Amino acid sequence: MMQLEIMLNGEPLSAEIASDALLVDVLRLNGFTGTKEGCGVGVCGVCTVLVNDLPVASCITLAALVEGSQIWTVEGLTAKDENLLNAFVEKEGMQCGICTPGQVVSCYALGLENPKANEEEIREYMSGNLCRCTGYVTITESVRQYLASK
Amino acid sequence: MIITRPTSVEAALEELADENSLAVGGGTSIGLMVKNRLIEPERLVSLNGIAALHGIEERGEGGFRLGAMTTLHELIHSPIVTASLPSLAFAAARVGNPRVRSVASIGGAIIHGDPRQDLPPVLLSLDAIAHVVGPRGGREIPLAEFFLGFMESAAEEDELVTQVTVPLRTGQRATYTRFTPGSEDDYPTVGVAVAGNLDNEGVITGAKIALGGVDATAILAHEAAEMLVGQRPSEGLFAEAAAVAAAAANPSDDQRGSEEYKRAMVAVWTRRSLARCLAL
Ligand SMILES: Cc1cc2nc3c(=O)[nH]c(=O)nc-3n(C[C@H](O)[C@H](O)[C@H](O)COP(=O)(O)OP(=O)(O)OC[C@H]3O[C@@H](n4cnc5c(N)ncnc54)[C@H](O)[C@@H]3O)c2cc1C
Ligand code: FES
Ligand code: FES
Repeated sequence: MMQLEIMLNGEPLSAEIASDALLVDVLRLNGFTGTKEGCGVGVCGVCTVLVNDLPVASCITLAALVEGSQIWTVEGLTAKDENLLNAFVEKEGMQCGICTPGQVVSCYALGLENPKANEEEIREYMSGNLCRCTGYVTITESVRQYLASK
Repeated sequence: MIITRPTSVEAALEELADENSLAVGGGTSIGLMVKNRLIEPERLVSLNGIAALHGIEERGEGGFRLGAMTTLHELIHSPIVTASLPSLAFAAARVGNPRVRSVASIGGAIIHGDPRQDLPPVLLSLDAIAHVVGPRGGREIPLAEFFLGFMESAAEEDELVTQVTVPLRTGQRATYTRFTPGSEDDYPTVGVAVAGNLDNEGVITGAKIALGGVDATAILAHEAAEMLVGQRPSEGLFAEAAAVAAAAANPSDDQRGSEEYKRAMVAVWTRRSLARCLAL
């Protein structure tokens, strides 16, 4: 066991963790269940969180490696920027909702990295977040609306 | 397992001298392997806190220095890399997905040693050199001598890659093409990196062709590349060289295609890559 100190959604979090604990599990055990594990191998994007402003797959990230980092989850980002969730609600960028937390975090990350992204860049960036329901059109529209709000 | 975060190369090497220790770069491969119990190291040595392993530099005649912990994200957004090493920036931008690119490092990319990876063929085509240090001192290993086999490199377990350097080749043209018939986010079935120069008369004065996904490691197709030198670019020349490159490939059957299919695709994508890179 070891002590992990991070800034989570802008607040300090100190947690006792196993040295091989994955970030997704640490977040969920500490009540941040917006982040979910889907594929578990870095491919689907459901577990996306921001570490020091960059998106990472929390399902393959050893929590101990992010010691001292700024972590933001879907809970913190949607509370910080209301345009983010509004874009997905207004453009209906979801159906079953399973992929949604990851889509929302990736959308925010794209806003940081390339707020003027064109249609192709949006599609390319978001292609790492799989969705089995929407066919991606409404997700892309949600992302476009969010970027336009920046 | 314990995780340590040394802040100097020397301190990291001391920890890696213990055979149960393993270096961690971005951790994208290590994270998966630890999670699935494919490896059970006693100590993971995170390299992230070592300032000397970071940074991208342009050194005039000395070429380019890419610290081993340079992330793919940093490569993609570096004005130096996008301007002077565009095939590397292009390849880095196509690895996996943004989550992998945020953290995966160039050092990890060359040590990992999966033949389907995108950066190794590009670095081979650019004549890149791995700088390695360990308890027995430092060495510079041309990438052409670095990839020894499946997940096996010329760097020992107690050594670290500190940087990758790329020589300056004024006027060099370079491209990377990744053929992903399944999904763009997938590993390539075939990756083709080409680099070369033409003189004022339009004669090819140097060329490298490197292939990913079609042998136990990324490989250079020497014979195919040498056929080009001294010739003027033409569709016929490119098709002949591509056929020779395909003969040099040694692919195996898997979900990305049969041996025969992959070999055929090497010919197609090498021909197209040569045309994209070296046509007048
Ligand atoms: C979902 C997913 C998709 C992927 N898709 C692609 C793809 O499309 N194309 C592609 O090319 N790759 C792909 N990859 C693989 C990825 O490129 C590699 O995982 C990555 O480049 C390795 O870099 P890293 O820094 O994360 O390595 P790590 O996981 O940190 O380490 C990998 C290996 O390198 C060693 N190591 C790391 N740094 C050093 C160093 N400086 N000196 C000595 N040893 C070192 C480690 O001990 C370990 O053995 C994918 C990976 C994932 C998880
Ligand atoms: S659960 Fe992490 S990428 Fe799918
Ligand atoms: S809304 Fe169901 S998977 Fe995306």
